[in-house]
Amino acid sequence: MSCSPYDLKDYFLGELSEAERQQVQEHAQECRACREELDRLRLTQAALRALPEEEPPRRIAFVSDKVFAPGWWQRFWQSGSRLGFASAAMLSIAILGHALLRPPAVAPPGPPGSVAIEARISAEVAKQLEPVLARAIAESEARQAKQMIRLVAEAGQRMDFDRRADRVAFEEAFSVLQKKLNVMYTASANLGGRP
Amino acid sequence: MIFREVEDRDLIGKARRGNVEAYNLLVSRWEKRVFNYLLRLVGDREDALDLSQEAFLKAYQNLSKLEDAGRFAPWLFRIAHNEAFSLLRRRKPEGEPPLEPTGGTQSYRMFPIELSLAVESALARLSEDQREAVVLKIYQGFKFEEMAQILSCPVSTVKSRLYTALDLLKETLAPIQTRGVE
Repeated sequence: MSCSPYDLKDYFLGELSEAERQQVQEHAQECRACREELDRLRLTQAALRALPEEEPPRRIAFVSDKVFAPGWWQRFWQSGSRLGFASAAMLSIAILGHALLRPPAVAPPGPPGSVAIEARISAEVAKQLEPVLARAIAESEARQAKQMIRLVAEAGQRMDFDRRADRVAFEEAFSVLQKKLNVMYTASANLGGRP
Repeated sequence: MIFREVEDRDLIGKARRGNVEAYNLLVSRWEKRVFNYLLRLVGDREDALDLSQEAFLKAYQNLSKLEDAGRFAPWLFRIAHNEAFSLLRRRKPEGEPPLEPTGGTQSYRMFPIELSLAVESALARLSEDQREAVVLKIYQGFKFEEMAQILSCPVSTVKSRLYTALDLLKETLAPIQTRGVE
């Protein structure tokens, strides 16, 4: 149990404020046990960091495939023209509202309402999204299946190799045993043949 | 770090508008960190690479859902975390020990063998949750708050996992490191 004003691990891991750090530092100058604990933490961290970061064996590159790019509707929605679209929609709604609230004269056919626009966008989104998702899922499944086949093949090869190694070892052991028996048999015959 | 965030924000903005090259650049800036995080969680280079690809693909498809572009790193690592634990869960029924050192860590042998083996073995003895906390803090340098976002748990849980892990690692590694220094 540490006697430090703040948790030494919080201090060591850089999770304290500057004022709190100062207090721990002052305490550690006076307290041998806390200094030793901080040393142990430093040594542990140094050991852990001895493991190097590895470079990925291959570049991660899938985005060059256009199938993964956001659809036109996503690009549109993320772009500046969204504001223009929203303004136009609001204006259309205002005009439509005005036309509806006015005493009916000869009502001209109004512009298409926002509901119709939304329905068209939803239909278009669904149309664009489904094949893209289906393709992405199919490719992911194909990758998994390929990996599974590779693993099964490797396991088969390993088993086959082990079996062959066992057979060779058994044959060698049997051969040695046979030779020993022959020697013993010969020795026994020689002993039995003496007067 | 602040400069990096500003550039990431810029790239994220461009990628959201459909600029594939901007996302490619973003991937190249983060792929090594994500790959190493996953490698230390799953212990296999091929798996780590596949998981990295899946994580970046999902991040791209969901880029519009990222609310604060300044929080890209914890958001990306959250996706990578989900991918890794999905694989670890699939592995478990087969009885395969998930985090034993494998051929994928061969390059560790470039370092003094005693220390290298001790670190690998000490990390392998931790639970998955503890090891992930160590990787996120010691190797990836995340703050507790960011780790809580990645792991989807309270900061107190993050601290508990990390501190237990550090106590276990300290017991094994500090004496060895001392011998190595002498």
